[in-house]
Amino acid sequence: MRSGRVFTLLICCLAFLAGERSASAQERPYFVTYDHFLEEPHNLEIAVASTSGFPKAGRSSYTAPWLELEYGVAGWWTAELYAEGVATARDGAGFTGWRWENRFRPLKREHRVNPVFYVEYERINEASRIQKEIVGRGGLPFEQIAELRQDVAHELEGKLILSSVLSSWNVAGNMTVEKNLSEDEGLEFGYSVGISRSLGGLASGSTCHLCRENFALAVEAYGGLGTSRDSSLTGTRHYIAPVLAWHLTNQTLLKVSPGFGLTSASDRYLLRVGYSYEFSIARGR
Amino acid sequence: MAGSNTSRSKSLRLSISALMVLGALMPIFADAGQARDRDPEWLAPAKHAARVNPLTTRVDAAAGGAKLFQQRCATCHGEDGNGTTKAPDLSQPSVQEQSDGALFWKISTGNTYQGMPTFSFLPELQRWQLVLHLRAIAAAHHSSD
Repeated sequence: MRSGRVFTLLICCLAFLAGERSASAQERPYFVTYDHFLEEPHNLEIAVASTSGFPKAGRSSYTAPWLELEYGVAGWWTAELYAEGVATARDGAGFTGWRWENRFRPLKREHRVNPVFYVEYERINEASRIQKEIVGRGGLPFEQIAELRQDVAHELEGKLILSSVLSSWNVAGNMTVEKNLSEDEGLEFGYSVGISRSLGGLASGSTCHLCRENFALAVEAYGGLGTSRDSSLTGTRHYIAPVLAWHLTNQTLLKVSPGFGLTSASDRYLLRVGYSYEFSIARGR
Repeated sequence: MAGSNTSRSKSLRLSISALMVLGALMPIFADAGQARDRDPEWLAPAKHAARVNPLTTRVDAAAGGAKLFQQRCATCHGEDGNGTTKAPDLSQPSVQEQSDGALFWKISTGNTYQGMPTFSFLPELQRWQLVLHLRAIAAAHHSSD
């Protein structure tokens, strides 16, 4: 609860810093997959999102909200801070941890394939269900949230992001490797791939909310690829998820994505919803 | 129970420390937003520089270019495109002497180490609309002289 207040206070301070200076949102139209477009330098994006899971019979459905602060440190470096929680239908609710993520773009210019390096430190507990990435094997644990929250893990995660623009399409693929620093578990692997495109052609001269240019469609697939100690794919979770992204205004983006579980270890459905607001902190004079 | 409280307060302290570090670093990052010297290596390859704007005769496309400029470029280049401390004046000859194709290439590929983002996520026609607006900026600049 106190952590929630800290984040509320932080957002108020940042909103004050931002003043009235607007900046256009260029948030990626994916929830899990990353492309090579980083945050614009000195822009801050505040996003709230949630992952709702509808597991197979007998297990409690859940909603895992998260708050995301994304900052463009430089044209080649974007940093993000996450705070996350969970609420379930029968098993309780609570704060599940935080993540500190950095993405680095090593090449100056656009190329046919654009690499980005991703490094993240997580301090999350076993109740975490936002599923921003899926790695390793096995389904989510379904004990009481209070019990799961006692089991805290420090994790280090790396991703290789490869992304291309092909005509009007973006195609992106991410390979993930995660190490739990709190346990002797070996490495866990995962993947995500996505394809997206804007529905717009020529931009209209007037402000409009429902024009095609404000919408983007995407499809992403993601899942676990086993561990360094057991590379079989038995018991891994995989999902396929279409995404609709709608730029409500210059600065705001709404995303919705229903996900469909593809294996017996996966939840039956996931529903992700996200809303983001972006503004510039550094003012040009 | 006492151990759990100690561990909880330790993790809270760690979370707050991380936020404070983030807050402390932000002004430093903001200072880094100063305009940099022109990058002499940032030149469009000849085949890209030779491309012709397909919207040159589309009068109706200009207003969309102005809107996109305000959405995507004005934060750094200024609302009238005359530059700010973060990015250069787009009406200056060193910009306007470049071909439409070269400007399109620069908008598309960016120059991330100099602070210019990549705009290849915009549909191609919208990037050409931005080029149209860059020409309109120069025309407005000359007419006000």
